[in-house]
Amino acid sequence: MTKDPLSLTFSALADPTRRQILARLADGELSVTELAQPFKMTMPAVSKHLKVLERAGLVVRGREAQLRPARLQAEPLREVADWVEDYRRIWEESLGRLDAYLKTMQSGEKRSDV
Amino acid sequence: MDQEGERLVRISRTFEAPLELLWRAWTEPDHFMKWYGPRGFTAPTCEIDLRVGGRHLWSMRSPDGRQMYFTGVYKVVVPMERLVFTDSMSDAEGNLMSAEMVGPGMHVTMDVTVTFAHADGRTTVTVSHVGEEHARTGWEQAFDKLAAMLAKA
Repeated sequence: MTKDPLSLTFSALADPTRRQILARLADGELSVTELAQPFKMTMPAVSKHLKVLERAGLVVRGREAQLRPARLQAEPLREVADWVEDYRRIWEESLGRLDAYLKTMQSGEKRSDV
Repeated sequence: MDQEGERLVRISRTFEAPLELLWRAWTEPDHFMKWYGPRGFTAPTCEIDLRVGGRHLWSMRSPDGRQMYFTGVYKVVVPMERLVFTDSMSDAEGNLMSAEMVGPGMHVTMDVTVTFAHADGRTTVTVSHVGEEHARTGWEQAFDKLAAMLAKA
């Protein structure tokens, strides 16, 4: 279950601090120091949250040894939202086809009734 | 709108047809296969065991020949009124797909509710669905808030 990417996304998003971190990263890359400031959190605490976000694929860290700025990666969120949208469309278009089918069905029944 | 409603995706359509016909269209495989799937798709197979705890296993084939199977279990069956079932992507035998097989998101089990209402010879069918995991963890609300924040950013 822990390997399941979607569950990782869910649990990463379940924490309000991590959501705030993501929202701040929407403005651009930030270092751990910069991220820690408004949260009144220690840098290790921020690093810990970033690791959870990284594992969920929501954040990527730069390679610069010192700063390793964090960057938002919204792809996992999009994949979930895309599927909900695709799934909705399956039913919506199916209902359109159902409408057409009912029309042929009813005209058929009327004919056979006569 | 109630809190539940905010998480639900809801689709409604009114048909110029009697209630009984709509019910049959949703619960009898021979009818279901004639309309299930997006435009251009066909539904080559359909099994429906219409009772609480009974399984469904139906498929759709895309215009380019890709066949996708969906399976689940009926949780509520109230004739001419209401159907509640789970729905997940599966293989042809009804084994659920993992995220690794179908991609992130696509392995989520949906809880689908279908309600039937008739008035003046017309029947309104409403399909609503919510991802089971969404409901369980409330994550979708978190996602909505995040999406709103990101949109503002």
